[in-house]
Amino acid sequence: MEKYILVILCLFVITSHAQNKMESTTSFLDKTEFKIGYSGNIIWNNGLNFGAEYLWKEKVKIKERKRGQKRITHQFLFDGNLGITTNFATKTDTGVFTNYGLIWRRTNTKGKQISIALNPLGYYRSFLPETYEVKGDNVNKVFLPGRGYYAPSISIGLGKLRKGKKRSGSYFNLNLMLRTRYNATTLPSISLQYGYRFNFKKRKQ
Amino acid sequence: MKNVIFEKLRTVLVIATILSVLSCSNDDDLGNLSDTIFVRHKNADMPAYIHGNGTKKVFLIILHGGPGDTGLSYRFGTFKNKIEKEYAVVYFDQRGSGMSQGNYSENGISVDIMAEDVLALVKVMKRKYGNDSRFFLMGHSWGGTLGTATVLKDQNEFLGWIAVDGLHNPSGMYSEYISTFKKVAAEQIELGNNISFWEGTIDLANNVTTEYRQDHFFDMNNRAFKAERRLVADNVINKVENDSDTFFNYNFITTFWNRGNTISILTNQGLWENLSYTNRLSEIKIPSLILWGKYDIVVPATFAQEAYDNLGSDIKELIIFERSGHAPMLSEADKFAEELIRFMNQNK
Repeated sequence: MEKYILVILCLFVITSHAQNKMESTTSFLDKTEFKIGYSGNIIWNNGLNFGAEYLWKEKVKIKERKRGQKRITHQFLFDGNLGITTNFATKTDTGVFTNYGLIWRRTNTKGKQISIALNPLGYYRSFLPETYEVKGDNVNKVFLPGRGYYAPSISIGLGKLRKGKKRSGSYFNLNLMLRTRYNATTLPSISLQYGYRFNFKKRKQ
Repeated sequence: MKNVIFEKLRTVLVIATILSVLSCSNDDDLGNLSDTIFVRHKNADMPAYIHGNGTKKVFLIILHGGPGDTGLSYRFGTFKNKIEKEYAVVYFDQRGSGMSQGNYSENGISVDIMAEDVLALVKVMKRKYGNDSRFFLMGHSWGGTLGTATVLKDQNEFLGWIAVDGLHNPSGMYSEYISTFKKVAAEQIELGNNISFWEGTIDLANNVTTEYRQDHFFDMNNRAFKAERRLVADNVINKVENDSDTFFNYNFITTFWNRGNTISILTNQGLWENLSYTNRLSEIKIPSLILWGKYDIVVPATFAQEAYDNLGSDIKELIIFERSGHAPMLSEADKFAEELIRFMNQNK
C-alpha cells in the first residue's frame, strides 16, 4: 500500500511540476517559501523543523463589499519538511524525519491563513544510544543504532501572511505523525509546530 | 603572525575541549552507574536504564508490571536511595513497553519471546560490564509472570529470584478474584468500612460468570485497584508513596499506546485464560524470595503461599507485608528495602 502511494505521488509531483514549468514564467524562488520552526510537544519531545513550500495552484476570489474588497486566496502548495526531535531527559526518543505532500491554504483579506497539510510520503529514522544486538550467544555493538519507519503526517494550522516581506509569514500547526510499523502496530505522535516562513523572491521593479 | 598563531591555538583548544567532553564516560565509574543501553533482540530495541553501585558487579534486574508499564517507574525512593546504594539496579522497558521500539508482527510478542529478551539483556550486561557480572531477577505483578518464564528458561544466569506480588499463575486470577472479593468485602463490611462499595464488590463477584470471560476479568481487575484505594482511605493499608520522577522520561502517548497494544495482544494469546506456571515452579531451584502485600487484591495473596509451597528452591522465603496491597515497595518501603538487600547479601 505504502509503495503504491509513493509511486502515485511521485508521478503526480513530476507531472504537475512539468506542467507548471511550461505554464509559468516565474522562477522557482518566486514560487517557493522556506520555513523554520519549533516542532515538538513541549513536555517530552522537542526539536526543529525545516521545510519548503512550492506554489502549485492559486485561485483568488475577489468580492466587492460595502466596506471594500474581500480577497480570498486558495492555494495548493507542494510541501517538504526535514526535522529533528529528541527527548532531552533520556535521549531514548531521538529521531530525524522527512515528509512530503500537499498543503491547502486559505488566506483572507487580512492575511490570516488556515492550512491543512497532508504529507503521505514520510520517513522517520530513530537514533538510539549505545545498542547491543543479541543473536544466539553473539553480542555485537550496533553501529548507528536506530530504526526506520514509514511516517506519513497530517497538519492543521493557522498562520499569518506578511505580504511583500522577506519573512513572509508565521504558522502554528497541530501535527499528527504516524510511525509504522512501530512494535506490532502503528504509533501516533502529536506535535505542535510554530515557526516562520521566509522567501528569496526578487523584488519587482 | 601573532593573530594567526592565536587563531590556530584557539581552534586546537576548542577541538580538544570538544573531544575531551565527548570522550567523558561514566563506564568506569562503577560506584555510581547511570547508563542507558538498548538491547536489540528479535526485531525489538529495548532500553535498560542502569543506576547505582556496580562495584560488586551484582545487578538487580527489575521486570515491571503491566504488561506494558515502564521500567523507570520503579526508580522511586526505596530503590534510588537504598537499594541503588548497595547494588546496581537495571530498570528494563520490556518489548512493547515504555520506550521500546521495533518492527514485528503480533506473533513477535509473547511471554516466551519476552523471556528470551530478558536473557538477551543478561548477555548484553555481561558484554558491557564483564563476564563476572552476576544477577538477581525481580518481577512485580506481571513481571512475576515474565520472571518465572525467564528463570524456567535458564535459571543458571541468576543468583536469586524475587517475586513481588508476582503472578506465576495468570489463569488462576479469575476465580481468585471472585473469592478474594467476597472474603475481603465481608471483612470490611463487618468493620463498617465503605459498606456500599464493598456490597457493590460482592455484587460484582456474584454476577460474573464462573468461567473466564474477558470483559468480566477486566471489570474485576479494575475493581481490585479501586478496592485497594478504599483500603488506603480506611487506613487498613498504608498509602502508596511514589516519588518517582519519570514524568519527563516517557512520552505519555507512546507508553499509553504501547501498553494498550501489548495488553491486548497478550490477552488475545490467552494470558489470563490459559497460562499458569504453578506446576512448573518446582523446577526453580535458585534461592527465591517472595514479597507480598497481605491486602493485595490485584494479585491476591493466595498466590504468595502457592508460590512458596511449589517452588523447588532449597532457600526460599515468604515475607508478608501486613500494611500493604499490590505495591509493598511503596507502602512499606523501608521494610521492603531491608528484606531485599538482606536476601541479596545472603545469596550474592
